[in-house]
Amino acid sequence: MRTPTRKAAARGLAFSASPVLAVKLPPWRSRFALFLLFSAFVAIALRAFWLQAMSTDFLQRQGASRYARTLELPAVRGKITDRHGEVMASSLPVKAIWAIPEDVAADADKLRRLAQLLDMPLPDVKKKLDSDRSFVYLKRQVDEKIAEQIVDLDIQGIHTRKEYKRFYPAGHVAAHILGFTNVEDVGQEGIERAQQNSLGGITGSRRVIKDRLGRVVEDIGYIREPQDGRDLTLSIDGKIQYIAFTELQKAVDQHHAKAGAIVVLDVKTGEVLAMANMPTYNPNVRQGLTGAQLRNRVMTDTYEPGSTMKPFTVALALEKGIVTPSTLLDTPAKLSIGPATIGDSHPHASSMSVAQIIQQSSNVGTVRMALKCEPREMWDMFASVGFGQVPRTGFPGEVAGRLRPYKTWHTIEQATMSYGHGISVSLIQVAHAYMIFARNGEMIPLSFQKLTQPPQAQRVISDRTAQQMREMMEKVVGPGGTAPLGQVRGYRVAGKTGTAHKLEGGRYVNKYVASFVGFAPISDPRIIIAVMIDEPTPGRHYGGQVAAPVFSNVAASALRAMNVPPDASVENVIMPTDMVMESM
Amino acid sequence: MSNRSMITIVALLVMCSLLLVNSQYQARRLFIELERAQLRQKELETEWDQLQYEQSTLAKHSRIDGIARASLNMSVPGPGRTQYLMPGVR
Repeated sequence: MRTPTRKAAARGLAFSASPVLAVKLPPWRSRFALFLLFSAFVAIALRAFWLQAMSTDFLQRQGASRYARTLELPAVRGKITDRHGEVMASSLPVKAIWAIPEDVAADADKLRRLAQLLDMPLPDVKKKLDSDRSFVYLKRQVDEKIAEQIVDLDIQGIHTRKEYKRFYPAGHVAAHILGFTNVEDVGQEGIERAQQNSLGGITGSRRVIKDRLGRVVEDIGYIREPQDGRDLTLSIDGKIQYIAFTELQKAVDQHHAKAGAIVVLDVKTGEVLAMANMPTYNPNVRQGLTGAQLRNRVMTDTYEPGSTMKPFTVALALEKGIVTPSTLLDTPAKLSIGPATIGDSHPHASSMSVAQIIQQSSNVGTVRMALKCEPREMWDMFASVGFGQVPRTGFPGEVAGRLRPYKTWHTIEQATMSYGHGISVSLIQVAHAYMIFARNGEMIPLSFQKLTQPPQAQRVISDRTAQQMREMMEKVVGPGGTAPLGQVRGYRVAGKTGTAHKLEGGRYVNKYVASFVGFAPISDPRIIIAVMIDEPTPGRHYGGQVAAPVFSNVAASALRAMNVPPDASVENVIMPTDMVMESM
Repeated sequence: MSNRSMITIVALLVMCSLLLVNSQYQARRLFIELERAQLRQKELETEWDQLQYEQSTLAKHSRIDGIARASLNMSVPGPGRTQYLMPGVR
């Protein structure tokens, strides 16, 4: 049998007879081919080495960026509540509407609807979308329901982003205490600003792996843990705040006053229970605010206190043993000190007891006592109750007022300062200073936050002097005093009126500041209330007429709200037919 | 190595890999569930804030005062019409 020879397919040639085999090729060609193949392998190996060892970081980063995402974890600003836990300020989610102007493609009809929903004029919306920036906010802090409707319009290039807006349920009533935040949720005024660090949370972020559908499938870890803002409990009592605000508003309206302020303090703890200002504003709607509305007259405005300073002068004289409440002093109608004359605005007996001087608010009598004291002693007295000192409550914008160093005092200045002129104070300072009478001679620091235990007190005057002052100041609201309208049914109260000319351009003008500072009940004082009415209608501008009724109404309601039992019979109110006009 | 032990080892390897795949899957599923629960928690917290705010708005003193006076014809009782109960006093 013949071995079948392989045949070249087409031509039927035997393999060994193929003419290609017969060609003699130079040997370098095969070596060259081998070399090419080898260097290709080397190149691949080098490339592999380069990718694997030299540029790993870069490649891994690129890889991660395709599946790992950094999520922003927003922190919520802390709530502010009153002392009973009622919410006074809370951050709720809203939406910011933003756009990539280049991507926006919408017909005129949709744009009109969008403008309508945004409550903006159509040209404004168009102008914003016309910008060549890559990102514009159309409107921020949009209600979630409206934002949903905008999303439903389904306009390309319009997006929403979650953000928070601050809401203030109490509105006008507590505007000046709370203040407000800006669109970035950062405190601008009041407590919101004072406590920004603790209220404002810290935004966190974390890395996650997302799958194709955008679901988070694995946690890589936190870059920064988010920290929600701490909630804050204020010392404010919502009920008393409301009472104080409405009474103040009534008085300011009734007397056509330019402004007014009131502050209520807790005698036992030094907590601020209420603080209100007129004119006010709604912190939820802040368009077109004026400076006058924003001003916190309790904390940041100073005024010449007038007669509300007298009790401190008298307390000093009592403390030094110069007088007793029953000491009779010569009180001529006019008293000359150098070129100046000091007088009283109402006729009185030519000699008065110390108690009568307080009751009828006599300038002459007060000056007589003041001039028996050293300037340094008076300065010490004023400074130790907080005049000329920053109250240090942490409230933004609080002021020290003006109490000049005693070394520069002339006799006439010492005299006028004794009845509250030539010195400027804020309402909170006056209210705070009255602590020494309400607390048997002690001062305690003020607080805007709810305290768990009362702070350390500091003695300023003796218990005895404070008692005597209280008795004398109770007569101020009695018949023959300057403020019978300050009486409260069922409670014994004490206080002092103040009526001061305003200084304008360095001169006293016929504009007044009427004030009343008082505390109640006398048997065991619980609250101090200071009221100040700025520029009441001339003719009816005395502290006893304008400010004392506010005190009376607020004290009556506040004491009831605090469940303080009455310490007098309900028929204790005696209204005299005529009232003593205090001196200015 | 005998053929037999080789087969056993390969089988073990396959089984382990399948188990690994499974547990990875379980982990991801549970993680998504956790994620969802956390989201829900956030939502509920927000709702709680919202409700608290609404409560404060509805229980606003000015509102209560207005309703009590205007539509319910109520007025504040004076101290003359108030009986004070003290602890220990009958």
